Amino acid sequence: MKRRIGMVVAVAAAAALVLGGCSTANSSSASSASGKPVEGGNLVIARSQDIISMNATDTFDNNSLRVMEQIMEPLFMVSNNGKTLKPWLATGYTISKNQLVYTINLRKGVKFSNGKTMTASDVKFSIDQDTKSGAAGWGFINAAIKEVSVVNASTVQITVSHPWGPLIADLSLFSNGIIPDNYGGKTEAAFYQAPVGTGPFVWDYWKKGQAVKLTKNPNYWQKGLPYLSSVTWTVVPDANTRKLQVQGNQIDIDDTPDWSTFASLKATPGVNAMTFPSTLMDWIAFNENRAPFNDVHIRTAISDAIDRNAMVKAVLFGNGTPAYSMLSPGTPYYDPNAGGDTYNVAKAKAAMAASSKPNGFTTTLLIQSGDANQASIAQIMQSELKVIGINMKIEQLDPTANKQARLAGNFDMSWNQWSMDIPDPDEWTSWAVNPKGGSNSAFTGYDNPKVIAINAEAAAETNPTKRAALYDQVQTITSQDAFIAYLFYSPYSYVATDQVKGFYVTPLGNYQLANVYKTK
Amino acid sequence: MLHRLRFIPGRLVQSIPVAIGVTIIVFFMARLLPGNPALALLGQHATKASVAALSKQLGLDQPLWQQYLIFLGRLFQGNLGTSITYQMPVTQELAQAIPVTLSLLGLALLLSLVISIPLAALAAFRPGGARDLGVRGFTLLGQGMPQFWLGIMLILLLAVGVRAFPVGGYGETAGDHFYYLFLPALTLGITMCPTIIRSLRSSMINVLESEYVGTAKSKGSYGAALFRGHVLRNAAIPTVSVIGVNLGFLVGGSLVIEKVFALPGLGSMMINAIFTRDFPTIQGVTLFVAFFVVVVGILTDVVYTILDPRVDLSSKERA
Repeated sequence: MKRRIGMVVAVAAAAALVLGGCSTANSSSASSASGKPVEGGNLVIARSQDIISMNATDTFDNNSLRVMEQIMEPLFMVSNNGKTLKPWLATGYTISKNQLVYTINLRKGVKFSNGKTMTASDVKFSIDQDTKSGAAGWGFINAAIKEVSVVNASTVQITVSHPWGPLIADLSLFSNGIIPDNYGGKTEAAFYQAPVGTGPFVWDYWKKGQAVKLTKNPNYWQKGLPYLSSVTWTVVPDANTRKLQVQGNQIDIDDTPDWSTFASLKATPGVNAMTFPSTLMDWIAFNENRAPFNDVHIRTAISDAIDRNAMVKAVLFGNGTPAYSMLSPGTPYYDPNAGGDTYNVAKAKAAMAASSKPNGFTTTLLIQSGDANQASIAQIMQSELKVIGINMKIEQLDPTANKQARLAGNFDMSWNQWSMDIPDPDEWTSWAVNPKGGSNSAFTGYDNPKVIAINAEAAAETNPTKRAALYDQVQTITSQDAFIAYLFYSPYSYVATDQVKGFYVTPLGNYQLANVYKTK
Repeated sequence: MLHRLRFIPGRLVQSIPVAIGVTIIVFFMARLLPGNPALALLGQHATKASVAALSKQLGLDQPLWQQYLIFLGRLFQGNLGTSITYQMPVTQELAQAIPVTLSLLGLALLLSLVISIPLAALAAFRPGGARDLGVRGFTLLGQGMPQFWLGIMLILLLAVGVRAFPVGGYGETAGDHFYYLFLPALTLGITMCPTIIRSLRSSMINVLESEYVGTAKSKGSYGAALFRGHVLRNAAIPTVSVIGVNLGFLVGGSLVIEKVFALPGLGSMMINAIFTRDFPTIQGVTLFVAFFVVVVGILTDVVYTILDPRVDLSSKERA
């Protein structure tokens, strides 16, 4: 998914500021792009991890996605607020009366960086390849697509097997980014060694474990963009080193500094500590296949006993907001009045008294080892649950083993985090409330036929007003059921030198570097 | 001289069973870890179905013994397999990371010798004197400082404060590499110093008390000439084995330094591979480290042989 406004950079920045200002961020939200953009320069972004692959159809790693999004673009682009879509490589679409056929008009005169003009057969090939990746890739996103057909060079038709509200949002996903038909005559593996797309930047090199570099696409279809001559993402695992590098002007942007680093950099002159509203939510899964978590009173009691404001203060150093819905504020159809449990010890004790374990019990919370944030969440919960008679132990497993345990249902309670990839709630709700969604209802075993039915209805609906009403119901019922305990929404954090202008991150985590420039 | 190095081929042959043992341990130990690479690759979207589908695609659904035999078969052809995470030959990954780690170790060793030899000599010439106390204080301090802390302090002082060196990274050209490696090598070098200084100091004291040094002195050899010709060479022998053993450990120790200084070496490669369960990469790095330790062992003996003419490892009768 990419985001860019194709007009003047100042417009983008103004929008960014307005939209960014909607949320909690009280530090400078986006590096404002006032003044005349400067051409040229190499932007250096340091991150803790390297990229893995440039194959969008089977890569789930955010570090890789952020790079490939500068090279390959989708038909529709998510807007700055993360909730609406705008035509990108497409110029618009129409839906047939029976809601099954989408006719999509393509933008004319768009060229790949190899000089070839983008046509409908490239679009068909790209979407088909994504669909083919199936269960081992992002193919599930295209599950509703029955057929993609070429009408003429600048028109494609997508037929869905059943009415499907999220289709245009699905097409905005990076995995549906447009690449040349038949990989431009190369093998799949060879193509992704140096991918070709229509984006503002082109592949230069990748030194594994060290850096990946893209250079400017001089023939980009948006005239005058990008401003930068190149972008380099470097691998700097240690948060402290990244902090020192941005202070020493050795890098331009420190990607995801930890919150303690962030706090100290906020006060440093010459750098700009930025937060952007995200779709990230931390939550606790209750394993309903294990007693007593099949008891709604127990789940409610635990959820009521958690002081979310204290967690935001201790874990995020105040950079976030408590969560009271299964959807995050950056997700379309978010309902601020979903009625999620708030901190209320008296209510928690009453729920315990009414539960199957009025005298309390002993249980375990599963978290990932080596993560300071999760450790403090667990410690806070431990002391809070003690108050209502629950003796909670903390179990730590490394990330991969932890995921294995959650998938296998080997836990009582577990820490989790989710963020959205497309601007449509279905990606998360179908995963979270449907036991057949692949994750056994977000690892919980939660199975409420009413919620499942409403959620399915919402996915098949294409009218936004009707969808909103349905998703309101989903959010309210899931909150009443306390199938998970929502903890907090956290923003994305970035620290940049004050030379960097126009940098903006959408709630889905994407950033568009075409509009970014560096002052001297 | 050369005939005394005839032990090398024999040593290499002896290391083959060691290598096979290492492959077995590494192969099966890595797979004892819960979770498989498919889980790591699929991120937050991992489902039972997608994990199963990807595992099959990666050949991880085959019986373990079969996977081991495939691994061994490839190994004999010099093929370490393909990294699961990066879909790139492990040999190619190693070829990028080995020079980084080896030059870091080499430079660290050089810097630590440059620091250690004069300090040890300073301390040994008057044991118990003020200089000796100073040097011994330094070794205590050196041993007490954690590597990562020393690294961060050196960055703060020489890279952020004075801006004489870069804050981490590896640079683009060969000249860059040397420049970028200097601070991490200095950090590693300083942490190597205490062991070297202690060993060198005590053997220098012994050598200085020995009769042949007395003889040399009586022949009129003093100062630097005495030190180079008689003291250092003889005192160095036990230190060589101390360094040899330590170099093996240092491959592991460089891991912390590589993280602090953002160097794309073997340590960072290994940590990532373990977290993502990238079995072929874990195997490749471990095999290389095993090979490295064997080679350092042999090299230690070679240096030994050169320093001390009495040592002859090639002939049992003469030993």
